[in-house]
Amino acid sequence: MNTLMNIDPWGLLDELFNTGSRTFRTVKARVAGRFPPVNVLLDDNAVIIDLELPGKTAKDVELSLEPQAVTIADKPAIPEGEAKPAAEMRPAWSRRLELPFRVDADKANAKFANGILRIELPKADAPAVRKIAIAG
Amino acid sequence: MNNEEKFTVPSATLVEKPAEYELRAEVPGIGKEDAELHMEGKTLTLKTHAKYQNPAGFKVAAQEFERVNYSMSVDLPDMADPSALSAKLENGILTVVVKKRPETQAKKIDIL
Repeated sequence: MNTLMNIDPWGLLDELFNTGSRTFRTVKARVAGRFPPVNVLLDDNAVIIDLELPGKTAKDVELSLEPQAVTIADKPAIPEGEAKPAAEMRPAWSRRLELPFRVDADKANAKFANGILRIELPKADAPAVRKIAIAG
Repeated sequence: MNNEEKFTVPSATLVEKPAEYELRAEVPGIGKEDAELHMEGKTLTLKTHAKYQNPAGFKVAAQEFERVNYSMSVDLPDMADPSALSAKLENGILTVVVKKRPETQAKKIDIL
């Protein structure tokens, strides 16, 4: 028996997200590395994500937005001149948050203030129902 | 802040350099205007009084950190000169630099 093999570090986190609070379930996180802590605030028209990143600025973080998810990752500093091995260029942490609704990428905004990154993602307008003509 | 009377001790490091000491404390969410530094004898005290409130109408869906105020007291080493002190707060990091007293610094002695 190898007990070590049975330890799933993300299991506990999943448990936290899956039990108790219903709101936890709506924002499901997928994580890698040692990530900064996040707070998520919701209302009917927007989601606000705060990350605690003391000492970091805009150039240290990379954000990518999908229609219904956002990925926040560390941006490794590129050393001047020398080529670094690929492994060192990988982000030290990255985290993907699934959102409870589709967001409008054009109206999204992110800003650092005193070591806290705030990402504001307004809800996208409901997609119009599209009728599809049947050929033939 | 939800509770203004609640203070957290920030995560901090004190580094000794040849001519000075550098104290670095993580105080995310705190701006220059919210922090107070006091020097009494050899004791350096930090206290912050930021007032944070979640945007109106928003519900907390996940909370992994708290918006807190910070409080910390550090006794500076004997070699530090409390009158030669400078501090800055940038991106949620407080850096305090205290010079060593000149008479305590290592001198190079020429061998004749």
